[in-house]
Amino acid sequence: MNFFKTSICIFCYAHSLLGNAQSLVDSIKQLKPVEISSLRLNEFSSGNKCETIDSAMLNKYATSNLADVLTNETQVFVKSYGLGSLATTSFRGAGASHTAVLWNGFNIESPMLGLLDISLIPSFFLNDVRLQYGGAGALWGSGAVGGTILLNNALPFNRGLTVSAMASMGSYNDAQQQASVEVSKRKFASSLKIFNHQATNDFTFTNIAKRGFPEEKQTNAELKASGILQENLFQISSHQKLNTRIWYQNNDRNLPPSMTEDKSVANQKDDALRASTEWQRTGERVALLARVAYFNEGINYTDSMIHLQSKSRSEVSIAEAESRFSITKLDAVNIGFNNTYSQASTLDYGENKFQNRTALFASYKLHSKNNNWNVLLSARQEFIKNTSIPFSPTIGVDGKFLKYFYVKMNIAKHYRIPTFNDLYWAQGGNPDLKQENGWSEEISLNHQHEIKSWSWYLGATVFNRTIDNWILWSPNAANVWSAGNVASVWSRGVEYKLNATYTFKKLKVKLSGLYNYVLSTNESSAIVGDASLHKQLMYVPIQNAQGSISIGYRHFSVSYTTIYTGYRYTSTDNLAFLKPYSVSNVSLNHLILLKKWSFRIFVQLNNVWNQTYQVMQYRAMPLLNAQAGVGIYFNKPNKP
Amino acid sequence: MNVKQLIFASSIAFAISMMGCKKDDPETTNPTTPASGFTNGVFITNEGPYNTGTGTVSFYSRSNGSVSSDIFNTKNGFPLGNVVQSMEVYNSKGYIVVNNAGKVEVVDATSFASVGTITGLTSPRCFLGITSSKGYVSQFGSGATGEVKIIDLNTKAITGTIATGNGADAMLKVGNTVYVACSGGFTNDSVVTVIDATTNAVLTNINTGANPASMQLDANGKLWVLCVGKWNSSYTSLVNTGSLVRINPATNTVDLSLPFTSTTNSPMHLCIDAAKTTLYYLYQGAVYAQPIALSNLVSTPLINRGFYSLGYDPISNAIFAGDAGNFSSNGKVIRYNQAGAVLDSFAAGIIPGNFCFR
Repeated sequence: MNFFKTSICIFCYAHSLLGNAQSLVDSIKQLKPVEISSLRLNEFSSGNKCETIDSAMLNKYATSNLADVLTNETQVFVKSYGLGSLATTSFRGAGASHTAVLWNGFNIESPMLGLLDISLIPSFFLNDVRLQYGGAGALWGSGAVGGTILLNNALPFNRGLTVSAMASMGSYNDAQQQASVEVSKRKFASSLKIFNHQATNDFTFTNIAKRGFPEEKQTNAELKASGILQENLFQISSHQKLNTRIWYQNNDRNLPPSMTEDKSVANQKDDALRASTEWQRTGERVALLARVAYFNEGINYTDSMIHLQSKSRSEVSIAEAESRFSITKLDAVNIGFNNTYSQASTLDYGENKFQNRTALFASYKLHSKNNNWNVLLSARQEFIKNTSIPFSPTIGVDGKFLKYFYVKMNIAKHYRIPTFNDLYWAQGGNPDLKQENGWSEEISLNHQHEIKSWSWYLGATVFNRTIDNWILWSPNAANVWSAGNVASVWSRGVEYKLNATYTFKKLKVKLSGLYNYVLSTNESSAIVGDASLHKQLMYVPIQNAQGSISIGYRHFSVSYTTIYTGYRYTSTDNLAFLKPYSVSNVSLNHLILLKKWSFRIFVQLNNVWNQTYQVMQYRAMPLLNAQAGVGIYFNKPNKP
Repeated sequence: MNVKQLIFASSIAFAISMMGCKKDDPETTNPTTPASGFTNGVFITNEGPYNTGTGTVSFYSRSNGSVSSDIFNTKNGFPLGNVVQSMEVYNSKGYIVVNNAGKVEVVDATSFASVGTITGLTSPRCFLGITSSKGYVSQFGSGATGEVKIIDLNTKAITGTIATGNGADAMLKVGNTVYVACSGGFTNDSVVTVIDATTNAVLTNINTGANPASMQLDANGKLWVLCVGKWNSSYTSLVNTGSLVRINPATNTVDLSLPFTSTTNSPMHLCIDAAKTTLYYLYQGAVYAQPIALSNLVSTPLINRGFYSLGYDPISNAIFAGDAGNFSSNGKVIRYNQAGAVLDSFAAGIIPGNFCFR
């Protein structure tokens, strides 16, 4: 399986450098994923730029959510409304609904909203996170337009009994507790993880929207969250594996006012149940996979000041099967189908709405004899009653040349089906909406090498993408708002990344930097003389950058990260804007290793330069704040 | 890897990185302020998209047609805020009602320098000056009914509350009586509350059509009220259509009620010309001119174009119509003469919702 190793290397080597500054320190938490939940993920995503955040890196963010992980460690832009508030992703200047978020291969986005609030995903419940940039309609279906975030869980076999607990305290009455128990035998493994999180988030800030710029305390920002994740893995026979997962989570957040409001009494409760089962048979020549999942999510939003109570619930059932086999020694084929049944209910739909979609997908990968080059062809065709979805092909190439240079190219068709809210909202919903679609192209050039104690990575990617029939709500002449396929967005830009690592005996120093330049403009409109034509979309920064340095010595490590975000426009005619800002974080980690026990002490300082900044206009952000915690781990290996 | 390859790699990396260094600093435009201050002109209150806090006030000068934008923030250094609903000029002071921020900003009407803020309101809509030391602010409130808050104009404090119908909105003073149109707020209503301006007591509630929203006084001393109608729970059709209702202030009763026919569109923004003989309103994507002597609704529109807001300037005899565009960038105001012919147009802020003529 030489080519398999090579492709893993291409994806993981370069980007795991990002994660493994702590590898010396966090060896206790280093998991080798034994089962790969989706065959497509690892072998058939050629040509796209990818980033991986492995468990060692996620461990550094054990008390944070996915929004913090992505903001600090990846090149994707995260739009956040504040501490513990709504956060969504924007890949290469696309919208929040143009990111597909998959949990172990299943799309967990709400069928009503078409997006996921990533601040609700605790990183404690994830083993690794992979980001695939660019369109991937063929692999992942609707919504994989700007990029795809793949959240994965993994259970190892034969690791014995592992018990861990963690408690942390932080600024603004932030308190978190986590615990996990894992039993891992030769043919059976089971784990249970629970977390609890509370904070009042009453941070002090300067209110730049009131006379005299007074110092105020944030009000109505409390949050309470708790969740449980239970996984089981069975080795049924020498070739067959079965796993089950159940994830239940409950979030209760008070929504704070913006700086221009006197007060807020708004509250949002989110609850989610996600369950899945997967069966795998890996034979000599053929690998088979069959899986089902059920998701049940509800949102309850209340704001008594405007007499609003909005309750909604959605249920999604997914069944998927795929098989992988090779025709010759140089190729690999993957064929599968997916059926997704979604149902949603809320007062504003009238009656319950439902939708069934079936998709057939196939991929073919060919690699050169010396494994230096891969060519990938993928396609997907989805069927929904009374709607025609375009045939979505992808072609990708990646290869190695001149010994230390790698090139990747990808051309993909992408699409996104309208959400239930766009289709079925009582006033303005449009059941005749077409899906958004378009093409995206990208080309990357990477260079990586190591000499003696140094290793480095340099990468540059150029991309181009159009999204046609972009759905927007707009008013007609009589001021009635409704959804229509009215806009067309053209995004293009470059992304640079560089890493350098120096290792000497027990010392490891790592530097990394990244820079993005993204133009994302609206190219068509149904409104005559629309001032947003050819203008940058709101809140998509043209430039953003990140730099970090981390030093690890024996069991201690310290890292410093700075994130810079450039000008963002706050009106669609680009006449109003927010100034650029940069925020820096410092984190310290120390591991104490005993025979069966180990302890981890960590301190996290956010916004160390005490900057006043806004990610969204007039939404206050906290000044310098800290978090510290202790984790305890116990592992008793199995008797041999 | 040899030195040649290393140099090759570094130079490619460097070249690529240099390509990225472009400036993206947006340009800032300097707003203009008329030399004589904000007199002889029209204030346009721009709501700003809900909850973004980008409401502003623009000023259009009659003398030279120049437009000054965002005059409050330019003069005072902080924004007006969240949904700038309406503005009134009373005793040389400007009272700007900011609906979602629960406040009224008080400024010197000529220089626009801030002289105070009235806070503690809940969804305020309009301001009406009563005496030099008393004013009323209508608000939707968060309780069971709409309210008019009594304000001491010297201390800027709220000194009392008058309970009205749901959604206290537009107010008009006729002699010593104040009429408050109750446009429903977050529910529905169908009354105009009548208040004695000296005692602050509610005299009566007049039953009009569904959700009265705007009012005008005509040359005969009669009060015209435009009702927007009542929607069904899913906002797809009007259960009660809009209507134009005439009240006799001498008896406080309705003496004429003209219903509209559309079940999908509400008539809005009632205005009156300088002679107070012709009414104007927005309906079904057009502007209508309604002579007060008619006892039926005019069927032909004056201007065949839909707008977000409407106003009539009694000094220049022009119709001001606000176009909100895509609702997330600067809108426009178009001026028409009484015959419905375009005079000119100018840029306003985001969502121009109301006019205050000075």
